[in-house]
Amino acid sequence: MNKVETSDTPPASLTPKINRKRRASFFINYGLAILTFLILGYLIARAQTRVLDFSAIFDRPDILRNAFITTIRASFTALIFSVIFGLILYFFSISKIRYLRALSDVFTEIIYGTPLLVMIFMMGFIFRASINNIIDMIGITDFIKQFDSSFRGFSGPQMGLAGLTIYITPYMANIFRAAFSSIPEEQYMAMHLFGFTTFQRYRYIIVPQVIRVLMAPLMNNFSLIIKGSALLNIVMMREIYYELFSIQQRTGRSVEAFFVMWLLYLAITLPLSQFTRFIERRWGT
Amino acid sequence: MIVDIKNLTHHYDIDVLHNVSLSLKKYGSIALIGKSGSGKSTLLRILSGMEKATTGSIHVNGYPVSDPVYKKKVGFVFQNHNLFPHLTLERNITLILEKTRGVEKENAKEIAQKHLRLLQLGDQMHKLPKHVSGGQAQRASIARALSLDPDVIFLDEPTASLDPILTDEVLTAVKKLRTLGKDFIFATHVISFVRNFADYVIFMQDGVIVEQGKTTILDNPQTEAFKDYMSKVH
Repeated sequence: MNKVETSDTPPASLTPKINRKRRASFFINYGLAILTFLILGYLIARAQTRVLDFSAIFDRPDILRNAFITTIRASFTALIFSVIFGLILYFFSISKIRYLRALSDVFTEIIYGTPLLVMIFMMGFIFRASINNIIDMIGITDFIKQFDSSFRGFSGPQMGLAGLTIYITPYMANIFRAAFSSIPEEQYMAMHLFGFTTFQRYRYIIVPQVIRVLMAPLMNNFSLIIKGSALLNIVMMREIYYELFSIQQRTGRSVEAFFVMWLLYLAITLPLSQFTRFIERRWGT
Repeated sequence: MIVDIKNLTHHYDIDVLHNVSLSLKKYGSIALIGKSGSGKSTLLRILSGMEKATTGSIHVNGYPVSDPVYKKKVGFVFQNHNLFPHLTLERNITLILEKTRGVEKENAKEIAQKHLRLLQLGDQMHKLPKHVSGGQAQRASIARALSLDPDVIFLDEPTASLDPILTDEVLTAVKKLRTLGKDFIFATHVISFVRNFADYVIFMQDGVIVEQGKTTILDNPQTEAFKDYMSKVH
């Protein structure tokens, strides 16, 4: 029986020689492409009328470092909470209770129709005042003061970050939807037939499969968060955009400041996208 | 095997099974044949306890099919192997044994390997389903069904997605199982296999049983519907 392999045996993997050749061509072409953009950048910088001087930008490396860390920390916070809220929103959207489904639909539509800048502004200024009034009124402010005596209500950056988190939530719910629907109905039948408990279904069968499908789009959303975090400057969060914008105002070195700002963002997003590719190659089907 | 169905009706949006009754006592291998959409897959799923019938009383070997005890005594081979794609062939079996049957890890491994070897998959057991051929995956899914030591094994068109060579490979494997003393109920379009393997044949059309009897009915169809079906398959 084992002899009958001709019909649909998977193809043998590429020979190492072809693999090496492909790899060399890959590096050469990507190297050339990166070089092209470096030259373009250099030309644009050279075409500036005045001589570039980066010393003023790097005068206070601690500010740059803190800004860099703030951006990363804010992005991770938004990532973690938007994943949690996204999962909840997804469960709402498939709930047996129609009201919850409707709630998730309406919420998603509102967010899809809102620019991120407007969202952060609303949260940081308009909703912030209301929410702080409400928590003051119902005694939550006093309650938190027991643990943190300096608490006077939520700050602008906190509310702005919440805005970013809420904004990404429906996008997270979407990738959960796509991931869970990647498991065909027949597998659920099999799980039922074999008598797995609900916990076992998720733990051993659903989640291990879903995670593979989830990782790449999750990282894409993370990239969206990082880029979106630049808008948190309007609520005075001292992240990359905020600090470099201040530096250029203080020093007048706007060209240099924006170049450095750009590079700092790329320093986060490019490794991330490479990591995403790696995961796709490793786990992709 | 004893199969006892009384007034089984099942519908999704339309009637899939319509007032089906059946009483069989002594057959070890029952074939369901009929065109696609005739209701045979649904009947299999209901008999295996995987799907709940809208109305009717269904017993197999004395158990109502909704009985959890009965569910532990059935094996099911799906049309398209339906192995869990992220687990190796071996793990596809051991996971079920360990988590739902309470078998010790080492013991589960032994059982899985024994059955995979029985189906000539000894050298494939550590591969993922996508890294073996369709025939091998389907045989692994038969090994999975067997490993649970069922009284009855259901096969839902186990060769429908395979080419003729692989079909032969899988059916040869199934034939061997007869020697293990298990009972079978299966749906198929491969009539030569029904002749060789079944003791009893049920021909279905549009959710009702049109003809039934020993394999000799294949050579002497009484109704137009069955004649028509037999003239189209071979």
